[in-house]
Amino acid sequence: MNISGIELLKVRENLWEIPASGKMKVPGRIYISQEMIEKGFKDSEALKQVANVAQLPGIEKYSLAMPDIHWGYGFPIGGVAATNLNEGVVSPGGVGYDINCGVRLATTNLEYNSVKKRTGKLVEKLFKAVPTGVGASGAIKRLSTGELKKVLSKGSAWALENDLGTSEDVSFTEESGTLRNADSNSVSKRAYERGADQVGTLGSGNHFLEVDVVEEIFNAEAAEIFGMFLGQVVIQIHTGSRGLGYQVCDDYLKILLQVSSKYGFNLPDRQLACAPIKSQEGQDYLSAMQAAANFAWNNRQVIMHLTKKVFKDTFNQSDSELGFNLVYDVCHNIAKIEKHKINGGEKEVCVHRKGATRAFPSGSKLIPEKYRSVGQPVLIPGDMGRNSYVAVGTEKAMEETFGSSCHGAGRNLSRKKAMKNAKGRNLIEELKQKGIVIQAKGYRTIAEEMPDAYKDVLDVVNVMHTEGITKKVAKLRPVGVIKG
Amino acid sequence: MASSFKFIDHTADVAVDLEADSLEELFSSAVEAFKISITDIECIEISDSIEIEITGASKEELLVDFLNEINFYVTTKKWLCCGIESIKVFNDENEWELSAEVNGIKLNSEKDLKQEIKSVTYHQMEIIAKNNMYSTRVVFDI
Repeated sequence: MNISGIELLKVRENLWEIPASGKMKVPGRIYISQEMIEKGFKDSEALKQVANVAQLPGIEKYSLAMPDIHWGYGFPIGGVAATNLNEGVVSPGGVGYDINCGVRLATTNLEYNSVKKRTGKLVEKLFKAVPTGVGASGAIKRLSTGELKKVLSKGSAWALENDLGTSEDVSFTEESGTLRNADSNSVSKRAYERGADQVGTLGSGNHFLEVDVVEEIFNAEAAEIFGMFLGQVVIQIHTGSRGLGYQVCDDYLKILLQVSSKYGFNLPDRQLACAPIKSQEGQDYLSAMQAAANFAWNNRQVIMHLTKKVFKDTFNQSDSELGFNLVYDVCHNIAKIEKHKINGGEKEVCVHRKGATRAFPSGSKLIPEKYRSVGQPVLIPGDMGRNSYVAVGTEKAMEETFGSSCHGAGRNLSRKKAMKNAKGRNLIEELKQKGIVIQAKGYRTIAEEMPDAYKDVLDVVNVMHTEGITKKVAKLRPVGVIKG
Repeated sequence: MASSFKFIDHTADVAVDLEADSLEELFSSAVEAFKISITDIECIEISDSIEIEITGASKEELLVDFLNEINFYVTTKKWLCCGIESIKVFNDENEWELSAEVNGIKLNSEKDLKQEIKSVTYHQMEIIAKNNMYSTRVVFDI
C-alpha cells in the first residue's frame, strides 16, 4: 500500500512496515487496520516521522507507532522507540512538551441510576473546585520554591504528606507516583516559575475531568479485581505537568540542539534533538524529565483529592461509603529505563512513549500485586461524547511493542475545521441529548474538542485488542465533562 | 517595509505562514500572529515594555527563543505583547543575535486569554531568503 508516497508493506492484518532504507537503522512498524487506512488515514507526515525516528542512534528492533498515530513534533503522537544504553540516545521529542501527560481512573460505590439527577450539580461543583483553562492556577496555595522542589523529588508522596491523598492512591499509581532519579536541581528557575501556582490544575486543550458510568464489561475477572461493576460511577482525570513540564522540554531541546553536532548527529528534524543516554546532557535531561513527571503525578493526585471532596460533599457520604478508590494512574508521555527481551537476550533500554501507554502483562513485578494475576490496567480515553476503554497489558506487548499500547482517539479535524463544523450548532444541547453534562471555561474549547474532531476510539482499541497487545476489560460512557 | 501572515490548517495545533521583506519584519509579524493566537483583546494603551536579548546558533533558534521568551511573560507575568518598539537581528561570525524592545499591557484576568501555547516549536520551521523576501512557517504547540 502506498500512502502519499510512503510504501507500507503488510506484515499482518493490523500491522504494516516501512522497510529500512536510507539512514533508517531499523524498519518502522505501524499498528493500524486496513479499515482505518481506508476510512481516510493519509497522514504521510506522521509516517515520515516514524521513518525519522528509525534514524536515532542506538534504536532497537523497530520504530513503532500505535493505531492512534498522528502528526507530532519529532516523534509522531502514538510513537514508541527503545534505544540501548551503550550508544543509544534520549530525545525530548520522544516524550513531548507535556511530560507525563497521563490518565487516572477512580471508582466509587455509587450507582449512576441513583445519582443521575444530581449530575448537573456535581459537574457545577467540580468545575468550581478544579481550576481549568488557560493559565489555570490556585487550586491550592502557591508553593514556595523549596516546597516545589519537594514535589519534584517526591511526586505523589508529596500529596500524601500534605493530606491530599491516601497510601492506596500512591500504590496504585505507575511507579508509585515517584521516579527516584528525579533531580530538582536539573530544572530551571523559569520552569519553577511556570509551575509554582499550577499544582492541582487541569489546564486547557484536550485535558479533562470526566464522570463516567461503566457501560459494558468484557473481562469479568479483571473488572472485579479493578473494583468495577456495571452501572458504576467512575472518574477519569487527564492532565500532565503543566507549564513546568513544557518549560523543561523547551530548556533541554535548546541544550540538546547545541550538543547534537558535538556528538556528530545529523538529524532529519530539529525536534529530534538528542544526546547519548550516557552523556552528562542526556542524564541531565532524564533527571529533569523525571522531576517533571513527578510534578504531573502529584498534580493528578491533588486533582483527585479535590474531586473526592466534591463527591463527599455532594452526596453527603463518608470515605468508606463513597469508596473513592484509584484503579490506576498511567502516563503516556515519558521515557523510561526498562528491561526488555531483544534478540533472545534481556537488555536495558530507554523506552520513549510519546502518546503511548505502558501495558505490562500479568506476572510483572512492576505492577501492583493486586493486579499481577490479570495485568496492568491500560486507560484509553475517547472524546467527550464517546466511550473510553479500560484494557489490560499482555505478554505480546512485551514481545512486540516494548510493553506499550495506544493512548486515545487522536484528532481527525484541525481546531479550525472543528470550529467551522460547530457553527450554527448547539453542542452543549447535543451532548445533553446524549445524557452528557458539560462545563468548560469557554465555548471555544467545547467546539474545538467536539466529538466530530476525533477519530472513533473504538477503532484504535480494537486494533490493539485483535492483535493481542492489550485486551479490553470495560467500556465507560461519559455523563459529566469538565474541560478547560 | 512589508510583511504578511496566514494561519493554515493543522490537525493538532496552530500553524502560521509568515512572509516579510526583512528578518526584523518577519520576527515582528510572528509576534503579531502569536498575539492573535492567544487573545482577541486589543491593546488600547501600552503600559510598559520589556527588553529581550537572545543569542543562538541559527535564525530559527532565535525566532523560537524570542517567541518562547514572550510566551514566558504571558504565562507567568500575566503580560501581553502588543507590538515591537524596536528590533535588531544580526549575525556575528557563527552566532545569531537579537535585541528587541517589546511593548505590552498587563492582563486584567486570565479570561482575556483564549488559548494556552505550551511552546513554540521548530516543527517545519525554515527561514528562507528569496528575492529579497524572508519566509517561514511557525507551529505553536497548544
